[in-house]
Amino acid sequence: MRHFGTGWSRFVERHPVPVFTLPSVVAVTLLMAFPVAYTLYMSVHSWYASSLTSPNFVGLGNFHRAFVEDDRFRNALWLTVYFTVLATALQLVLGVSLALVLNRPFRGKGLVRSIFLLPMVATPVAIALVWMMMYNPTLGVMNYLVGLVGLGPYRWVSNAAIVVPALAVVDTWEWTPLITLITLAGLATLPIEPYESALIDGASATQMFWRITLPLLRPTIIVALLFRAIDCLKTFDIIYVMTQGGPGFASETLNVYTFQVGLFYFHIGYASSLLVILFALVLGVSLLLIKVRRAEW
Amino acid sequence: MLRVSGGGRDRVNPWTYVLLVVLLIPFLFPLGWMFLSSLKTQVQNTAYPPVWVFAPTLGNYREVFQKNPFFTFTVNSMVVALGSTGLALLLGLPGAYAIARYRRTGIALAILTARMAPGIGYLIPWFILFTKAKMIDTYTALILTHLIVALPLVLWVMIGFFEDVPGELIESARIDGCSNWSAFLRIGIPLAKPGIVATGILAFIFSWNNFLFSLIIAGFKTRTLPIAVYSFLSYEEINWGGLTAAATVITLPVLLLALLVQKHIVRGLTLGALKG
Amino acid sequence: MRVSLKMWVLSIMLSLALASPALAQKFDWQQAKGTQLRVLLNKHPWQGAIEPHLKEFEALTGIKLVAEVYPEDQFRAKVLVELTSGASSIDVFMSMPAQEGLKYVRAGWLQPVDEFLKNPALTAPDYNWNDFLEKTRDAMVIEGKIIGPPIQVENTSLMYRKDVFQKYNVKVPTTLDELEAAAKALNGKAMTDDGQPGYGIVARGKRAAATSQFAAYLHAMGSTWLAPNREPIFNNEDGIKALDLYGRLLRLYGPPGSENNHWYEASSIFSQGKAAMYTDANSLFPVIEDAQKSKVVGKVGYALFPRGPKGQYGSTVAAWGLAMPKTSQNQKAAWLFMQWATAKEQVMAVQSEKGVLGARESVWKDPKGMAKVPADLRESLTVGSKMGTPLWNPPVVAVAECRDAIGNAIVVSIQGGDVRAADNKAAMDVKRIMLETEKK
Repeated sequence: MRHFGTGWSRFVERHPVPVFTLPSVVAVTLLMAFPVAYTLYMSVHSWYASSLTSPNFVGLGNFHRAFVEDDRFRNALWLTVYFTVLATALQLVLGVSLALVLNRPFRGKGLVRSIFLLPMVATPVAIALVWMMMYNPTLGVMNYLVGLVGLGPYRWVSNAAIVVPALAVVDTWEWTPLITLITLAGLATLPIEPYESALIDGASATQMFWRITLPLLRPTIIVALLFRAIDCLKTFDIIYVMTQGGPGFASETLNVYTFQVGLFYFHIGYASSLLVILFALVLGVSLLLIKVRRAEW
Repeated sequence: MLRVSGGGRDRVNPWTYVLLVVLLIPFLFPLGWMFLSSLKTQVQNTAYPPVWVFAPTLGNYREVFQKNPFFTFTVNSMVVALGSTGLALLLGLPGAYAIARYRRTGIALAILTARMAPGIGYLIPWFILFTKAKMIDTYTALILTHLIVALPLVLWVMIGFFEDVPGELIESARIDGCSNWSAFLRIGIPLAKPGIVATGILAFIFSWNNFLFSLIIAGFKTRTLPIAVYSFLSYEEINWGGLTAAATVITLPVLLLALLVQKHIVRGLTLGALKG
Repeated sequence: MRVSLKMWVLSIMLSLALASPALAQKFDWQQAKGTQLRVLLNKHPWQGAIEPHLKEFEALTGIKLVAEVYPEDQFRAKVLVELTSGASSIDVFMSMPAQEGLKYVRAGWLQPVDEFLKNPALTAPDYNWNDFLEKTRDAMVIEGKIIGPPIQVENTSLMYRKDVFQKYNVKVPTTLDELEAAAKALNGKAMTDDGQPGYGIVARGKRAAATSQFAAYLHAMGSTWLAPNREPIFNNEDGIKALDLYGRLLRLYGPPGSENNHWYEASSIFSQGKAAMYTDANSLFPVIEDAQKSKVVGKVGYALFPRGPKGQYGSTVAAWGLAMPKTSQNQKAAWLFMQWATAKEQVMAVQSEKGVLGARESVWKDPKGMAKVPADLRESLTVGSKMGTPLWNPPVVAVAECRDAIGNAIVVSIQGGDVRAADNKAAMDVKRIMLETEKK
């Protein structure tokens, strides 16, 4: 394509990477530059939104406040970890198990995959509202269903003790299919040879699962875990719509807390520092998982 | 004969189908409940034990469409989703191609960090920016904000698809005198078409479902569907029929999309993970 | 000469008499013709009642109105974000001064309207500011400046099922002790349409939202939010008693899951017939008397909030009003809208058509204005608004944050936790929040 004359074409030829990637990099940089700069700047200032006062520099004051003085923050941090670990563990176990079960011959795989996709693509806000209905302590169908097997009734998301698991159930319902689908795809690419030699050696099915399948699947599962962990740490829609962090503060994860502090209380400075902490958390977990994936298997 | 992955030619165990049904029910139930409830009256919806057999009514849907400009919401959601998807593809495809071909995983990881940043951090700065530029309540603003989710997604998934394009094909084209850009357009894109479809659909779905950004950046004219359904939760007491009708209307397009093009979507989702 | 002096006086009086109606007609509603106003409204009964009349304003003034309506949470967030950006194009918005007024004023975001009000060229002569109920006028004054006109008044009151009380021969409570006794007596008794049992009482429990209704219990017990020296005192002995009572009522005689109930859920439970009593804002009565959705139409009594052991009134007085951002480019037009929306004619319209409780005394006294309002509601509202306290929120800058801190204590009480500890913690939190946000 010689739209711009030989000078440009030659440039493209010699430097394909910068030219091709430039649009994306520029777009992302432009979109992120101001927010990142603003957040970093504000995180070391104290500013309670107002047209009359300007932000004043407090150095690491906000961070000190979060970790040392603010027990609502510590609560949020704990709940974030609790929710994430619970949800991802559930999804992992369920997802992989389902994949193993589904990894057998039958007709209509396409249909099954379609059905599995539905929870993932359904609009989270809508799903959250439907689950809220189902979780209603007096009128909801969940209590009816667990009543059929002699359990409950529970107060679900109105009960501070079980609200986080109840929310984790919603997240699990939504995202287990992702783990399943990814695992199924991974299973499809597994080589035959290890299994053939194992059979010759007289290995049992369980041994083959633990010693061959799982280790081979490990990189795939870890990537799935990585995506889910990042998303769980940042979960907002379902928690905000279903409980707004309640009852009391029993489901107020860091993301929800930051939203309150920033957009309802308008402590812009403090909220910015909370965002920095949340980002550091997500980054930390991601790096950890990437490292685990690269580790020997 | 040992099979690691399920083939289609072996004798199918009929119990498999029973098992399948049992496993699939929990995943379908909430969606089914949502749809059923949308056909019930308020009285039926607040009955306990829940009513399973009843005479359906379309009253809720009528109410939803009459009382709310759902058509406008749908148009808004559509415009923003198509816009951000199109823009993300436009900007991201060349990038993904280059990263795949020249193995510049560094850039890929850098863009992944965009995905890690909490969405809330963008809200106030963007709001200030857009307000000063008088762009609040415009499609442009919304499309740009949705881009921050769509673009990393396009890059991440398409890198995997472009890696699948056989290097030899591109090499031979280059030897024949094709420029880099030509090779990209004439070989890369056509061969990665299924991936492009998959990515486009995924980006569309995530934009369609986006709640947080639209909540703050969208104004009265550009409100999208998730905001509409959220606004059901106020003032008038819990109108479960209306709520589920609205929820059904909102999720129906993406659900249908998933059913129709599941093959592409699954490829897109899983490839991103397998190559990760 | 005497005759000519008399004639002189007479002619002056005559000309004055002739001039007055002319003067009144001289108020120019069209003085801001051609402007466009952006008005942000909260999804609320008042908004629902005034919306059909908006085109009358446009016809009268030649001003184009662009009204945006959002549900409450979103509305607040939106207004806040816009005002913070400093470049908002909002001209008028619905505001509850007790909720955000102090913060907005201290942040320099509001345009006081005292000057507009005093200016005869800008304010119609029959506007009559003093026609508004005294406590609502007070509510709209922040740090000495009037920030806008009130559009609605409400109290926390006791709404109860007359039929249920009659059926089980229970006395309608007038004190807090009687309230608890009644809740206990009626809890579990059949009270729905189809004879199902219901709860003794229902009320909000959702963290911040519950705070405003809890205020009634707090003040009836004899406590309040802050001492005159602005130290939190809601955790004194009376305050702890109030907190304990609130939680106990809901825990023992209220629906499960109260801690997640906002007024949407609570009013729904009551209007479905599932509770014998409901303490909340009496402005909710259109919801409860909605023939299409409520099952208790005509069966509800609206009583004054029960008094405390020492006879204190708990009734709180809350007012919604209209406010104008300082950044509005169309302040004259905005003021015209604000006064039109609260002029006697419009207040009469919303009150007589939809039962919205306007803030004008003259409308209250007019039988037409009271047509849609039940007699006992009128009575309890009048007494409640006179005797009640406007402190349904702690009078602080960071209202939202303090409401959450106090709301958390309420949730703990509902769940049966250590009320004293929770109350003390809330007081400590409020003190800390005030320190951080109120340095001048």
